Amino acid sequence: MPRLPLGQWVDSSVDWLQAQFSWLFDAVTTGVTGLYDGIDAVLSAPQPLLFAGVLAVVAWWLRGLAAGVLAFAGFALVDSVQLWDEAMATLSLVLVATLVTLVIAVPLGIWAARSKNVSTVLRPVLDFMQTMPAMVYLIPGIIFFGVGVVPGIIATIVFALPPGVRMTELGIRQVDGELVEAAEAFGTTPRNTLLRVQLPLALPTIMAGVNQVIMLGLSMVVIAGMVGGGGLGGAVYRAIGNVDIGLGFEAGVSIVVLAMYLDRMTGALGSQVSPLGRRAVAKARAALGAKRPGAKLWAHRPQPVTALVGVVVLALAAGGTGFLGGSGGQASASGPNGGHGKKVSIGYIPWDEGIASTYLWKELLERRGYEVETKQLEAGALYTGLAGGQVDLQTDAWLPVTHAQYWKKYQNELEDLGSWYGPTSLELSVPSYVKGVDSLADLKGKAGRFKGRIVGIEPSAGMMGLLKDKVLKDYGLEGEYKVVDGSTPGMLAELKRAYDRKEPVVVTLWSPHWAYSAHDLKKLKDPKGSWGKGDGVHTLARKGFAAENPEVGTWLKNFSLTEKQLTGLEAVIQETGKGKEQQAVRTWLDRNPGLAEKLAPQ
Amino acid sequence: MSRLQADHLYKVFGRRPDEAVRRLADGAEREELRAEGTTAAVVDAGFVVEPGQIFVVMGLSGSGKSTLLRMLNGLLEPTAGRVLYDGHDLTALSPRELREVRATKISMVFQHFALFPHRNVLENAAYGLEVQGVPRAERETRAAEALELCGLAGWEKSWPDELSGGMQQRVGLARALATDADLLLMDESFSALDPLIRRDMQDQLLVLQQRLKKTIVFITHDLNEAMRLGDRIAVMRDGRIVQLGTAEDILVRPADDYVASFIQDVDRSRVLTAAAVMTDAAPVDCPDDCACRPVGPDTLVADLCAAAALAPHPVTVEDAEGSVLGVVPTERLLAVMGGVAATTAPFPEPREVTARA
Repeated sequence: MPRLPLGQWVDSSVDWLQAQFSWLFDAVTTGVTGLYDGIDAVLSAPQPLLFAGVLAVVAWWLRGLAAGVLAFAGFALVDSVQLWDEAMATLSLVLVATLVTLVIAVPLGIWAARSKNVSTVLRPVLDFMQTMPAMVYLIPGIIFFGVGVVPGIIATIVFALPPGVRMTELGIRQVDGELVEAAEAFGTTPRNTLLRVQLPLALPTIMAGVNQVIMLGLSMVVIAGMVGGGGLGGAVYRAIGNVDIGLGFEAGVSIVVLAMYLDRMTGALGSQVSPLGRRAVAKARAALGAKRPGAKLWAHRPQPVTALVGVVVLALAAGGTGFLGGSGGQASASGPNGGHGKKVSIGYIPWDEGIASTYLWKELLERRGYEVETKQLEAGALYTGLAGGQVDLQTDAWLPVTHAQYWKKYQNELEDLGSWYGPTSLELSVPSYVKGVDSLADLKGKAGRFKGRIVGIEPSAGMMGLLKDKVLKDYGLEGEYKVVDGSTPGMLAELKRAYDRKEPVVVTLWSPHWAYSAHDLKKLKDPKGSWGKGDGVHTLARKGFAAENPEVGTWLKNFSLTEKQLTGLEAVIQETGKGKEQQAVRTWLDRNPGLAEKLAPQ
Repeated sequence: MSRLQADHLYKVFGRRPDEAVRRLADGAEREELRAEGTTAAVVDAGFVVEPGQIFVVMGLSGSGKSTLLRMLNGLLEPTAGRVLYDGHDLTALSPRELREVRATKISMVFQHFALFPHRNVLENAAYGLEVQGVPRAERETRAAEALELCGLAGWEKSWPDELSGGMQQRVGLARALATDADLLLMDESFSALDPLIRRDMQDQLLVLQQRLKKTIVFITHDLNEAMRLGDRIAVMRDGRIVQLGTAEDILVRPADDYVASFIQDVDRSRVLTAAAVMTDAAPVDCPDDCACRPVGPDTLVADLCAAAALAPHPVTVEDAEGSVLGVVPTERLLAVMGGVAATTAPFPEPREVTARA
């Protein structure tokens, strides 16, 4: 069987598309970003609890008092775990994705319902969209649309489109043929048949599709978080990366609150917007009231006018305080001189030293008058974004070994501003309670103790190749140990599990890493030097950044931290808590007077 | 001029319909076409409907009657042949013109009522007027009038699913009448109703028809219904019209065994009239105290039996002016009821009279 170069074709068509249609992608990016920013600005402006009140009144109106109370409790919970802004960002992302999806899906569904050919062609395409793993088109998505919310939204649209189209088509096809015939028999135009008969009758099914679209959109937010979508997805991604079960759960529960709210509201809306649904609800309500009079209080719904007034009053109050609060918050951000509000975008992988150095520079640059935006990204997405110019710089490039494959691919679009920390080291580590294993050579013949496994990370990582091809060979461990491919969070979780049970385990790890402060671990010595000299943590910028921003370029080129400084900063960030990284940086800078002047001299 | 004329209508589904039509015209059988995957639903159907007539198309399911009906208002495009409405060829119209005709001149009543469940009764009845673009106030007045005509005054704000089947179909009828279209196509409109309700609706339709004088094409699979309603009846089988005539024609002279097998179950006493069964014999002079009473030519045989029971001699048939048309001997009545009349008893040539309840 000859090898079909399918991958190559895709590669070259992606390149071709990027070259030919960059104007189109840019336009889409601008449009979607604008929509997202607009919605997000509106949603996150008001006081959280007031806005929760608005959402609760909507729930009260659509579903009853019980739903309103529960909705308020749910959103209050989100606010109390300090994930409100993330939740609103996610809500905006889902709303934009849903909006765009419906604008595409409903007409497509209508078209498919009217033409058998379209339906036949569309079916495999929809199957393809729904089952293709999202990560497969996320990276091309970044190449086309850049990092940030847009590829996340696009991926969500691709994933959520099929049910929207299918349910629309199904809804229209389900409409009794005799009714359509009746409309035609009275001389209705095809357009009016659609608008006056088919769509109103298909509406309940279409609304079920809308509901599906929203739910699938929410299920994509974590993936969107990996490419800079931020929001709750970003929080989940960060929590996974750090095996922070608590934060993961909080973010997860917040997603659930959003999902349940949106699900119930669109469900109720489905029965409100169609006359058929309204009649069904009215009937059910009358039946319920007759059976259990007590249920009436909890099922009570205000008149639409009352609900509208409630929403407007709360929204005005919320908008007012949001406006006041917003203007109050601005002051601290703008500092004196230097940057004149020039925008700098820093991307980071949610690793401790990445977070620390990124927020350190965010604070420093803002003190010097720059406007800094930070984006949390998955490594591949970060490099793609940097090469594409959507991200200006990142401070967490492990070169020359760990990030070798990214550097190789993108080195022509990047410039290296030098290493600020090092050397790092790659190693295999065991918990310190594992006696008698201190160096790589000691692993030989002890496979039984470790179940013959070395717990690895992503197979694409540079150190995994090095481990399999060189380290095991050098120490004669080939065949005796099997390197388990997986993911960094998976490796860390396995380490924690084994550590808590005091079981022997050997994992791939690197320094600096927070795992060394969380657990008592032992780095296995490498007398043969198989792991190489180790990486430096480099600052990379997009091509031309230093030339455009000579001041910042110089600061970054001269940037360096000692191990003591870095671990100190990381510890303060850990203490202060998530979401307050910049505040932690300020605390740390206060404890190290003069350092800010040294790092970014005026 | 006739209101509606069907002229060699063909409807063929499947591949190469034109060739199929040519072969059918040359006498090919439906079965041999079906073997090739082509379905001839209607073959060479032709008839004329005069203004004010109820024309019934009768046939079992699959006989092509519904397809035929849908060609009359252009819901289905005939494969060959023409439909003439007041002399204008509907098959030559553009889709837009055809919609105009459907909106204003031809309306339709459906088997399963086809009421829009998302509209209340008044909105349903006003639908045709809404399509025509009649202003709201006017169309609601006219729809309410149509509903009242159909005995539904006071139900305007109800929803279709709150009504019984018979009432729903009256809404369907009101919707069709509201547009003032002259031609009503009724597709098995009473078939989904209970027998009692069905009979009631048939009576109502006939009462309405006496007032409104619409032209109606009525589809049914029920010969009793066909006989009750139809001024003229077309019996369809396998896509072809096998017999075309009045109820009496069909009862008395079935065109073939197929039609004959159909009419076995028909209640003759409620179809045949005095005019159809009377003989030319001279009336009997009876004594003054005789209990007999002359009957009109439209008297149903069922009612004739009552008259015959009172008279010790053949019943006299007179027209409105009192001139004698003929007599009906009791043996004659018994022969007709026994179903032997068609084959044995010598009948007079049919006259242009109609069977009506």
